[in-house]
Amino acid sequence: MKKYLLLLTLLSYSVAETYTFLVKPYHKEIELEAKIISEIAHASLGTEVKLFIPNISEIEKEVYAAHFTLSQTCEASNFVFVNKTVEHESLCGTSNRLFFTNNYRKLLSDKTYYGALFWNKSRPNIVFIQKRLEANRITLPQAFAPFVENF
Amino acid sequence: MGHHFTIKKPWYFLIPVLIVGSILALLLIATLRLEKNVEAKIVEISTSDVFSIAQNNATYIHTLLKESTHYVNDIRQNPALQKQIEKSLRTLLTPNIKYAYLLYKDAKGVFRFLSDASNSEEQAFVDQKFDIDSPQWLEIYTTKKPLLLHHTLLHQLSMSYLIPIMYENDVTLILAIDFSIQKVETINQLITTMQYSIIVVMVVIGLSILFSIIQAVRFKAVRKTAFTDKLTNVYNRNYLQKYEDFINLNDYIIATLDIDYFKKVNDSYGHDIGDKILKQVAHIILLIIRNHDDIAIRYGGEEFLILVKTNRNDHLNSLNVVERIFLAIQDHRFYISNDEYINITVSIGVNLVPNKSRTFKEAFKLADIALYNAKNKGRNTIELYDENENIAHTHFSLNDIKEAIEEKRIQCYYQKIVDTQTRELARYEALLRIVDKHHMMVTPDQILPTIKGTFILRNITKEVLSLCREQLLLNSNIMINVNLNPQDIIDDSILSILKTYALHDNIASRLGLEITETEEISNKNDAKKNLLMLKSLGYKIFIDDFGSGYSNFIYLAEIQTDYIKIDGTIIQKILDDKISFLLVKNIVAFAKEARIQVIAEYVSNEAIYEKIKSLGIEYSQGFLFSIPCDSTNIFTCKDI
Repeated sequence: MKKYLLLLTLLSYSVAETYTFLVKPYHKEIELEAKIISEIAHASLGTEVKLFIPNISEIEKEVYAAHFTLSQTCEASNFVFVNKTVEHESLCGTSNRLFFTNNYRKLLSDKTYYGALFWNKSRPNIVFIQKRLEANRITLPQAFAPFVENF
Repeated sequence: MGHHFTIKKPWYFLIPVLIVGSILALLLIATLRLEKNVEAKIVEISTSDVFSIAQNNATYIHTLLKESTHYVNDIRQNPALQKQIEKSLRTLLTPNIKYAYLLYKDAKGVFRFLSDASNSEEQAFVDQKFDIDSPQWLEIYTTKKPLLLHHTLLHQLSMSYLIPIMYENDVTLILAIDFSIQKVETINQLITTMQYSIIVVMVVIGLSILFSIIQAVRFKAVRKTAFTDKLTNVYNRNYLQKYEDFINLNDYIIATLDIDYFKKVNDSYGHDIGDKILKQVAHIILLIIRNHDDIAIRYGGEEFLILVKTNRNDHLNSLNVVERIFLAIQDHRFYISNDEYINITVSIGVNLVPNKSRTFKEAFKLADIALYNAKNKGRNTIELYDENENIAHTHFSLNDIKEAIEEKRIQCYYQKIVDTQTRELARYEALLRIVDKHHMMVTPDQILPTIKGTFILRNITKEVLSLCREQLLLNSNIMINVNLNPQDIIDDSILSILKTYALHDNIASRLGLEITETEEISNKNDAKKNLLMLKSLGYKIFIDDFGSGYSNFIYLAEIQTDYIKIDGTIIQKILDDKISFLLVKNIVAFAKEARIQVIAEYVSNEAIYEKIKSLGIEYSQGFLFSIPCDSTNIFTCKDI
């Protein structure tokens, strides 16, 4: 009986992730975000993506590593996703790399970023700015057309 | 009937389990549907007010734009109007309504904000793009009616409610409100609680039903054990008591079966052999009766009651069952050891018409009367209850007999007992008769089964004693024998009467007391003591029917009987049956040694009389000398 209970407990833990977020921190949103960023980055670069996220958390590392080659430094990367508040000076130069943000206001105010993935009314929204795409010589597939804004 | 209660067919248990399971499954499906309906209803109840308010809000915005010909442009260009709309939208925000905003769709089909009630941090700009989460949003442009969307993928929102704002029959603006997950969670909590409650109730009901089924099966098994005679495996008296009121008297004929001379078997071979014979008799009965139709009950020591299913118009088949039982027992060899066997016979009384009786008890009694007649006719026979023969009895209930006593319709007939050598009258035997309401004479064999064991029997004895006393006082030169029942000997009121007769009327020496010897009386010290006391008062003691049933020679010596009356059925066979002759001869020899005088009953012809005479039997009684006559003809009653 004791062995049975032990086995049952271990089995419960092994599949706990599928039904509870008490065992591991909940990261469904990060998962979704990573997938979208992956689509965007690959569509934008057309080469292998070396992703850099400033101040990346452990959970993000774990989730993003499944979709990207993570870069330890800004300099070694070709795609930077800024999803936290960071000083602009702490970031490396824009040559040979693309900058993406999770903040719509930042996208509007800072020309470094060519697009943003942000949560609007609890829904994921994507915006690319046409001029910045052109400046970065990015041609996105037709599927991204509804997300491109021509300011 | 089943002999054992082991589970022979376990799927009998599966059937109720499957039924219960199916019922529970149906209940579960019904419950799930109910839950859905309840959920929809709760959502409707809890949101209907919100929808109305939102509709009012849309109407208000529509009113604000009543002068406008291009809603989108006018709102874009008029900051004051924007403020008014935003203010109106803000009134919709509650802890449950997370967002309220106004949208339009541009020429490219992209949704854009016109107004947003969110706080400044989250507030969308005018013309800011809004990515819809589902193509369902577009339905509003075709239906032109409010639309409720349920979100399954969004983590913070549960529902969105969209209201179209029309311009010239086209959907121009959309007022959208988003419900937070909180509301649905509350509803879900409610539903979950309900779900658990229903599941718990269903489990309890299921377990209760299952428990009830198990208990019912167990109860049936226990009840069957309680209704089964352990020795013979037929039903016992408890069964009869429980179900006698439910027996349909139209469906059965009733047979009562008694093993002949069973007591002798027990006395001769011991109780173990007696039990073995009982088992075998019951086994024969069970083999012959028809399963599911007929019922066998052991209602006494060696007495069985058999209810044989019958057709109202044809008793032949059911009677045939009884006859086969009778013959099978007669032919069966009852082994008392490995190589020794005995034959057993039975007497059977059958009531073919139980439906003519009001109750089962009455019908049973009639079968018992037939059995009584069968025994009287020498046993080893089947006797049918004859309505005509027993007509007097059928009309004689206990109440009728009580009435007869009260109305002085009790009579005594007197039959002579003569000196065998001289044929001179020695004494009379008083015989009980009751005159029924139709002036027909009823004999004791038709009355005694009804009153056996009741106080009426004692009252009748008192009446008979009173009548005999009258005769003795009226005729001082005669002697009369009166029959007493075993219970009378130990009854204080009877003893008191007899004491009075002896001490005050001085008739003890002329009143003989005839007692049938039974085991019951032999074992009672009181009875012995009382008999000796009666002898001391001057009464003569006659042991009646000696040799027929319980005959105990030691007992005769103990009570110092004066006379023994050899049973009539033995005397009847004295000429043809050597055993009967030897029995009589030995009884006479013993009586002479013990100085007891002997009376032979049923002396019905000269040949028997001569034999009796040759054996030296002192007294004789029977139709050869006289029939029983009433008191008015006591002296003139002619000899046959």
